[in-house]
Amino acid sequence: MAENSGWLRTPVAERDPIIRLLVRFGSELRAAGLAVGSGDIMSYCAAMTELDPADLADLYWAGRTVLVCRRDDIGVYDRVFRRFFLGDDDQAAELLQLNAAAASRVSQAALVLPAAEPEPGERSEEAVAGLMASDVQTLRHRSFAACTPDELAAVRRIMARIRLTRPLRRTRRTAPARRGSAPDLRRMVRRSMRMHGEPAELCWRARKARPRPLILILDVSGSMADYSRNLLQFAYSARRAAARVEVFCFGTRLTRITRELDHRRPDDALAKAARTVFDWEGGTRIGASLESFVREWGRRGLCRGGVVAICSDGLDRGDPATLAAAMERLSRLSYRIIWLNPHKGTDPAFRPSTLGMMVAAPHIDLLLSGHDLASLEELATLLPSIN
Amino acid sequence: MDRPENVGELADTLRQGGYLADRGLATALFVAIRMHRPVLLEGEVGVGKTEVAKVLAAVFGRRLIRLQCYEGIEVSQALYEWDYARQMLHIRALSERQIADSDAVDKLFGPKFLLERPLLEAVRAGERAVLLIDEVDRADDEFEAFLLEVLSDFQISIPEIGTIKADSPPIVILTSNRTRELHDALKRRCLYHWIGYPPPDRETEIVLLKEPGVGAALTRKVVAAVNRLRELDLAKPPGVAETIDWARTLHFLGETDLSQAAASDTLGAVVKERDDLELVRDNLADITSGG
Repeated sequence: MAENSGWLRTPVAERDPIIRLLVRFGSELRAAGLAVGSGDIMSYCAAMTELDPADLADLYWAGRTVLVCRRDDIGVYDRVFRRFFLGDDDQAAELLQLNAAAASRVSQAALVLPAAEPEPGERSEEAVAGLMASDVQTLRHRSFAACTPDELAAVRRIMARIRLTRPLRRTRRTAPARRGSAPDLRRMVRRSMRMHGEPAELCWRARKARPRPLILILDVSGSMADYSRNLLQFAYSARRAAARVEVFCFGTRLTRITRELDHRRPDDALAKAARTVFDWEGGTRIGASLESFVREWGRRGLCRGGVVAICSDGLDRGDPATLAAAMERLSRLSYRIIWLNPHKGTDPAFRPSTLGMMVAAPHIDLLLSGHDLASLEELATLLPSIN
Repeated sequence: MDRPENVGELADTLRQGGYLADRGLATALFVAIRMHRPVLLEGEVGVGKTEVAKVLAAVFGRRLIRLQCYEGIEVSQALYEWDYARQMLHIRALSERQIADSDAVDKLFGPKFLLERPLLEAVRAGERAVLLIDEVDRADDEFEAFLLEVLSDFQISIPEIGTIKADSPPIVILTSNRTRELHDALKRRCLYHWIGYPPPDRETEIVLLKEPGVGAALTRKVVAAVNRLRELDLAKPPGVAETIDWARTLHFLGETDLSQAAASDTLGAVVKERDDLELVRDNLADITSGG
């Protein structure tokens, strides 16, 4: 901290290498997938003029507070920071030259700071291992062929239908309305001014309706391999159609793919989602996956008042008690639970026979088939009726 | 003190105010104060997000202006509102006495009839205030748009009056429990800090700072027990606030040790869900053992 003022006094030319370094760190972060704009990097540089750029802890924390804006990104930031400032490549050497005096001063505490967030860090570490193409990992990835024209047409139909028929919920927010529950004083005053202050007509506000959140939880394990392409296409359509849609995949563990599906072109979105999920066509642990959904997302209110659609055949290799407990909690957190079981097909008299389905059955509000895009379109039409 | 000179000084000041900030939080707050940027604090429930703003206000001798967000919150509850009843009466008075002139309508939408709500109040108060926008995620996302102008320029545009700008901006703290993802536009305007559970020795320190009466030995035991609770798969894991509550409750009851019986009697201070209670009671011996 003592060097703070000294550093400020050094001419710009000498400060330049640090700024250049910070800019390069910013672009490394960008390359790693963080949304870091020039404005953010300027803020980072400005923050470092208030702090001590020779202090690794200051570098770390200022960057984290300025450049990271969601918890999930902290792991990525930690990884890039470690590689860039502490790593074994040339950049680190350059920095050490730059701050030769500081290098010895760098506290051990600063080095363990990133490790304080083990959970997200661990996940992103794995993510990198996967993207860096180890053969074992890629085997379990799945790539999809480009969408056929028929499929694209279906995708468009689903989108249109979901846009029209989203389940709605009354909110506490009000809007001007012809008839309503509360008087709209603002409008009344405005109108009465035209009448020389005579409040001539009553104006009202009524509560607005807004779409309920829709959460899709897709089974992509081996037994569901035939259906996963359609499910993803459906998820993509739903995500494109409405803002409050969240998509998760699971086989042996849960992955959130909401952000990956936010691509304009369906092929790109599907490819990106396919890369993110690690356990394509592996085993199934529905109970554990749903449990981690409830724990990590549901409890925070993601599905409160929402419609949860689970797409799975119910072939669970885990403990049925786990599934039962997770379903019970989920049913208390959400508004309605829909289960799409592809084995149901078009058979109206279908009774679930797998243990997983039987355990989950008491908590399911609606059981549909979802074995192809057509039946998924049917789900889109049914959404309003569950209101 | 007006503004801190370095991170260490800020951390010391906060400690004097009864708040233990770690290096990351202190850095975020320091940068925020020096660069006049709002800070968005996210974290588990009960880790002291709201407390930060209160302590900042106290140690810097500023006024705390709090905007509690909730579903359906509107401009009229957050920014400003016209005093319609008075406007109406004024119009009637003017027309009855036939004294309406060209200024009359201007006056009708002048400062006299403007009701300040927290955001406007904070902009007016400027550097004499700490603005706490609590639980932004509870407001619906349309509401975030109203915050953007305040957060980026510390100004508020009122169509009838014009733009009101803070001479020197207030310290702004936003908190969110992540019940939904906030818009990027909002996040872009803020610094971000995630507050996690503190490590055990730090948590012990926090409890002792908050409840000096509780013995150090008991506190360490309580913290160890709470940490074991967090490892269990609870629907609602206890935050630091719960740890403090628990220690306080035990102290109030005159307990000096966290025995299994004492823990069982006071469990309501930390575990607040029926399912969790059952799970915890089954493992109580495990949780209270050691320290």
